[in-house]
Amino acid sequence: MRFAAGVDVGSTQTKAVILAAGEGDSESPRIVARAVVDTGAHVSRAAERAFHAACREAGLDPREIGLVVGTGYGRYKIAFGHAQVTEISCHARGAHFVLPETRTVIDIGGQDAKVIRVGPEGEVRDFVMNDKCAAGTGRFLANAAEVLGLRLEEIGPLSLQATDPVKLTTVCTVFVESDILSYLAQGRRPEDILRGVHLAIARRTVSLARRIPIEPAVTFTGGVARNVGMVRALEEVLGLSIHVSPEFHFMGALGAALFALDRLEHRAEVGAARHERN
Amino acid sequence: MSCIAGIDVGTGFTKAVLVDVTAEDSSSPREAPILGRGITRTGAYLEDAARHALRQALHAAGRDRSEVVYVAVTGFGRYAVGFRDIQITEITSGARGATWFFPEASAVLDIGNQSTRAIRLDARGKVSAFKMNEKCAAGSGSFLMRAAKYLQIELEELGELSLRATHPQPISSVCAVLAESEIINHVSAGAAIEDIVRGVHNSLADRAVLLLRRVGVGSDGREASPLVFIGGVARQRGMIAALEERLGRAVWVPPECEFVCAVGAALLGLHRWRKVRGEAFPSSTSP
Repeated sequence: MRFAAGVDVGSTQTKAVILAAGEGDSESPRIVARAVVDTGAHVSRAAERAFHAACREAGLDPREIGLVVGTGYGRYKIAFGHAQVTEISCHARGAHFVLPETRTVIDIGGQDAKVIRVGPEGEVRDFVMNDKCAAGTGRFLANAAEVLGLRLEEIGPLSLQATDPVKLTTVCTVFVESDILSYLAQGRRPEDILRGVHLAIARRTVSLARRIPIEPAVTFTGGVARNVGMVRALEEVLGLSIHVSPEFHFMGALGAALFALDRLEHRAEVGAARHERN
Repeated sequence: MSCIAGIDVGTGFTKAVLVDVTAEDSSSPREAPILGRGITRTGAYLEDAARHALRQALHAAGRDRSEVVYVAVTGFGRYAVGFRDIQITEITSGARGATWFFPEASAVLDIGNQSTRAIRLDARGKVSAFKMNEKCAAGSGSFLMRAAKYLQIELEELGELSLRATHPQPISSVCAVLAESEIINHVSAGAAIEDIVRGVHNSLADRAVLLLRRVGVGSDGREASPLVFIGGVARQRGMIAALEERLGRAVWVPPECEFVCAVGAALLGLHRWRKVRGEAFPSSTSP
């Protein structure tokens, strides 16, 4: 059995996935383990921790993993990795693996937001990402939750109970704090404020993507995809239904693992060919 | 004795000052005619903050509320203060306050919690151009506050610490939130705290200089006249040094720099109060 791993070093969390190669041509690879750890300040250590945790989960010795591909903003800090692939390619590849009809990937993580146009083979056709500012990222939601004294998991479901959403005057992650405080002072309900927050991020994402046509199927990846309020807000703003895979958080790592498996198989083929020649 | 209140309801803090009604007649304008000051966090209840700051100023001045004959309010929250007699923009009050301390001032840079303002003044001290940056926290004081928070340093210490930098670390992100990861990376790479802090000041100063240039500061032929730096961020000595380095000229900071807009509002309020009463005032000090 051949195994390969993908490690996605994100700004907030580091994810690892281990794949087992499918037997023969017909069987597709399968996920044998996943792990997630907080990235913190020591990026290379976080990558190692996530990788080892995934190995433990799979009951494998790290030496049994044929190849490791790193992705995410900290990918070059992964000391044990064999190759690096951008998170854009990895998310596209991962999304294509879980839903081959995917033509658009919306990936929202702790500090980044990306819209990726995906081709029928899971290849990247085009992409846009936030580079100058944290507006429309997970941090925006985390700040909003903090100001309202709520846990991050609570805000999505609560936002769905809104009846009269507020209109935020800013998309700045820092300034949204005072915006929220002044709405609270005006006696607005937390659910209406939160719905306004989610809609603001959804609009920001769509305007980020303006040069990229958003075509179905849309697959939503990254940590923010677990937020049901965000899924609904994006659906409302886009007028499309959005697909969230149970692997949403591991999509980058999954894509990286698929690339790792490709290389491993290629290496095996080359090796086999060489063997035959000899 | 009658006095005038100037209140600046800023996004971070609300400041109040009291000036005597004879303030404009003062022969030495640099001696601030301030009777008392008050400062409080603005929070969500803007009018309460204004009332609280005013109460502190009255207490400090040993005055009674009934002695306040006119209340001039400035700052983003000015319209929320129901007990005001007049509202004044931060641009006008900042320019007035700065020229009170430095009558020859040619430009004013005001960096507060959430906004940065660059103002160019003509030879008579009038506002001839201004630009502000208030859409995002890049280049504002909240950038510093956040940096202080994750470096676990008191905001007041940042300024001095920055002056000790030997190898300032570059901060390429403009966004206060994205800069956070850069700062964390510098910390984990073992960079000295003072070098990181200076990097933050440099990044803020870059933004401020850009804004000043856009209003024509540095190309208006008035480079010999003071550039006045006001607002809470002007307390940071590292920031002053970073600005001077980039501008190649001295940057002047009035005492109690965070109260300058409140002082300006009070002086403009006094002017208005006298006008309403039909009083003549000395032409030399009329704004």
